[in-house]
Parts: sequence; structure tokens; C-alpha cells
Amino acid sequence: MKVFHMQCKTEIIRVLRNRYFVFWSLVMPILFYYIFTNVVNTNAPDKAQWKAHYLMSMTVFSVMGSSMMTLGIRMVQERSQGWSTFIRITPLSDSVYFAAQMVGQNVIHACSITIIFIAGALINDVSLTATEWILSGVWILLGSLPFLAIGTLVGMMKKVETAAGVSNVLYMVLAISGGLWMPLEIMPKMMQAIGKWLPSYNFGNGAWEIVRGNMPDWKNILILIAYLVLFMLLSMYIRRKQEAV
Amino acid sequence: MNAILTLTNVTKSFQHKTAVNNVSFSIGKGEVVAILGPNGAGKTTTISMILGLLKPTAGEISLFNLEPHEKQVREKIGTMLQEVSVMTGLKVREILQLIRSYYPSPLDLEELINLAGLTEQDLKTRAEKLSGGQKRRLSFALALAGNPELIIFDEPTVGMDITSRNRFWQTVRALTEQGKTIIFSTHYLQEADDAADRILLFKDGSIVADGTPQQIKARISKQSVSFIVDPELSLEKLYLHSEIDDIYRKNNRVYVQSTDTDRVLELIFQEKIGARDIQIERGKLEEAFEQLTGNAQEAI
Repeated sequence: MKVFHMQCKTEIIRVLRNRYFVFWSLVMPILFYYIFTNVVNTNAPDKAQWKAHYLMSMTVFSVMGSSMMTLGIRMVQERSQGWSTFIRITPLSDSVYFAAQMVGQNVIHACSITIIFIAGALINDVSLTATEWILSGVWILLGSLPFLAIGTLVGMMKKVETAAGVSNVLYMVLAISGGLWMPLEIMPKMMQAIGKWLPSYNFGNGAWEIVRGNMPDWKNILILIAYLVLFMLLSMYIRRKQEAV
Repeated sequence: MNAILTLTNVTKSFQHKTAVNNVSFSIGKGEVVAILGPNGAGKTTTISMILGLLKPTAGEISLFNLEPHEKQVREKIGTMLQEVSVMTGLKVREILQLIRSYYPSPLDLEELINLAGLTEQDLKTRAEKLSGGQKRRLSFALALAGNPELIIFDEPTVGMDITSRNRFWQTVRALTEQGKTIIFSTHYLQEADDAADRILLFKDGSIVADGTPQQIKARISKQSVSFIVDPELSLEKLYLHSEIDDIYRKNNRVYVQSTDTDRVLELIFQEKIGARDIQIERGKLEEAFEQLTGNAQEAI
């Protein structure tokens, strides 16, 4: 238990010291939020609702990014630099190592969510009920699981450059086509049809529903679970294939 | 002998070649053993198997009477691998504390810092900003962090300058005095001779010699008598004596190889070949070593 605690603490320190993380997961989303709710006039019919909606979009955007990129790229780094090999020789078990990374990542997400929510409340006086704040936060935390699974897939790549490139492109494509930057409704019909099936849209939509006073759609939950299972199976398959060589 | 590590008929084959071929040896508590051989002789593969990083294709490895991958084994061993690795985003002190927390009875932090020669400045530096030398010191400290009974170093002194090299071996000696068992690989005979009390000589994946440095040296170095003689003169007479192993000419001198140089001198005078400027040569050890392990080296 002491080992696990120490390992989690270490993982958290490492993420917080990562400048890319601070920039992409905190500075960028908050900056975007400020721009699209205050500088650019979006002609939203209900201003207060738009402000809450876009706050969720940006929080989802932030957590999705750190799930996919921070974790994945670090896994590749550790392996390519021989650190993973060294860890295998120590008494630390693989499962504790992996679990600590996951817990660390979730603690970081909880921090990101809190910081971005507070920023929203301060910048635009977004006011939700306590239940809505908590529910949307929990939704974003749990909804990040399929993206953490994508992160472990990215983590199986051989080179840091490839991992960074692929995860960046995937991140942007998922964010835009999932309606996190601008609502899906203003996109062409074709894009909307595709977007509704993407994990990013379903991740975002749960939070958007919550701030409108509803509950996430069953469809959102089921699609996210399906993606989680798919990515986990894929990662198990690749792992087995890599070990065989 | 109380064996800590035993390899029995261990073989490791990769797709195209056999890296380690039917190797058996056993190492007792408190021994300092050098795994000596040129690059590509199978040293790193053997060490990787001992550490449980690679699975032998055939044969068995037991450490402390257990299999290499078991947790109780990992708690008793410390390693410094060839490739120095670091954990980015952490300061040296934080890494040391983290790794220490993995072991049931780690080495005291202050003692660890002293042994590895880490400075106050090193401790505050983030791992990704360390110089090559600092990384080596950290890596050494990590090997000792768990206060291991068995320490394994894979080519520990590659890239070290003379001062750090001396310091490193001094520390290793201090560790052996505490009763630690040490295994290290090297391709320098000199290093193996200075630091180890037993050498396992590897060539092409097999052990070609196993003994004390004296025994190994006696086996691989040849003595000879050299002299200048009229080039026209036939040396056939000398060939007839069975005590002489080999005769060759180099730089206008004749070299007569034999384990008994006194007898060679006697023969030279007996046969009256008119030898001048006679010298007894105690064959260069490094040369003999290269000769012995030479083929593998060309393969690189």
C-alpha cells in the first residue's frame, strides 16, 4: 500500500511538471473558453446556456487530451529510454505500476476539471446547481476511460515522435468532429451523422445534457462502453502480438 | 559452496542465431565474477536471462533457489544496465526515494548518496537534465537502492573517465567486503583481472574458460624466446624438439614459443644456430586474449 501511494504521488508530480500538459490541458481550454464566450460573438440564442455548454466542451476537450496524450506518450518514452526495463527488474509489480498510473491520471483529471470549472465560474459567472457541477464532473471523469484506453494504445508505439504525431491528429479530429470546438448542429449533415457515433461526441453530450438539467442519454453511455471494450480488446491483441515476436 | 546463482545448460536462440549455447555455471555467495568476452559473445543475453528479462530457450536458471522473475528474487538483486535510463520529470532525490520504497529493507539514503558519489547539486537536478556522468552515478545508486545481496552490472565502466572508473571499482571492493556477491560483464581483460576473483570467459555464446584471473592468464598467454639470426639459416633443427610449440619470424626476429623457456635457451645453444640479442618474452596478455576471442570480434 505504501508503494502504491508513493507511486501515485510520483505520477501526479510528474504530470504537473510536464509543461505540455499544463499548456494543452489547462491554458488552451481556458483561453478558448474565454475567446468563444466573450470575444467572438457566436449568436447563441440563450447566452447563459451557451456559456455552460461551452464550459463542458472545453473541460471534455482538456480531459480527453490528457487521457490520450499524456499517458500514451509517457509510456512510449519510458519504454524507449529503458526505464520500463529497469522497473521490471525491481520488485514493483506490473499491476501496481499500471494501477498507479491510472489513479494518478484520474487525480490529475479531477484537478483539471476543478480548475476549468472554477475558471468558468469566474470568467462568465456560470452558475449551475451543486448537483449539476458534481454530476458533470463525475461524468467527465468516468467518460474519460475509453480515451485512457486510446492512450494505452498510443503507448504501444515504438517512437515518441510517431506517438506524439498520431495522438495529436487523432485528438484534433475527434475534438472537432465530435462538436467540442463548435456545436455539431452547425456542421454539414454528413459530419453530424458521423459525429454522433464518435466517442468524443458521446463524451461531450453527456455533460451537455447534465447542464441542461437532463441526464446523459443511455445511448451515450452504451456507445462509450462499447468503445472502451473495443479499445481494451485491441490493446490486449496488440500486446500479445508484440510479446510473441 | 553456497550457490546463489546457478545456470544449467542454458541456451538462448533468436530467429537467426544462437546467442548463448548450453552454458552452465554456478556462483557462490561473496564471489566477484567477471563475465569476460568480446562484443557479441553472449554476455548481455546471459545477464538478461539471469535478470528474468529474457526467457531461456532451453535450460534452467535459479537465483536464491527461486526463478528469476519472482518477487523475492527481485528484492535481493540490484542492477545497472548498459543503457542508462532515467525517469523524466523527477529530481534525482525523488527517484532514489521512489525506488527505495519498492524494497523491504532499502539502503539508507545518505549512505546511498555517498556510495554513488552523488553531490547535493545532482540530487536537485531533474533526471532529464543530467549529464552522462551524472546519469551513470544515478544508475549506480539505483542498483544499490534496495541494499541487494547480488549486484549485476552490465558493462559498468563504458563511457566512464579514469577517475570515475577508479572510484567505481573502489566502491565495488567496499561492497564485496560487506559480503555482497557481484557479477559484471566487460570486454577488457585488464578490468576483469583487476576487479574479479573469478572470470568466465565467453566466446560465441559459450564459456571457453572458467577460473581465477591467474589461471585464465596462464591459459591464454604464451611465453617465447626471441632472437636475431642469419635469415639464410634454416631453423628446421628446432622444429624437431617437441617442447617447442611454434616458431615464427616478425620484424627480423625469430620467435620460439614454448611453455618452458629455459629449455628453449638450452636448445638454441645446443643446436649452435648463432642466435644474437636473445630475449625472453612474456607474451602480451591482451594480444593473446584478442587472439583467443578474435573471430567473434570480426563479426561486429
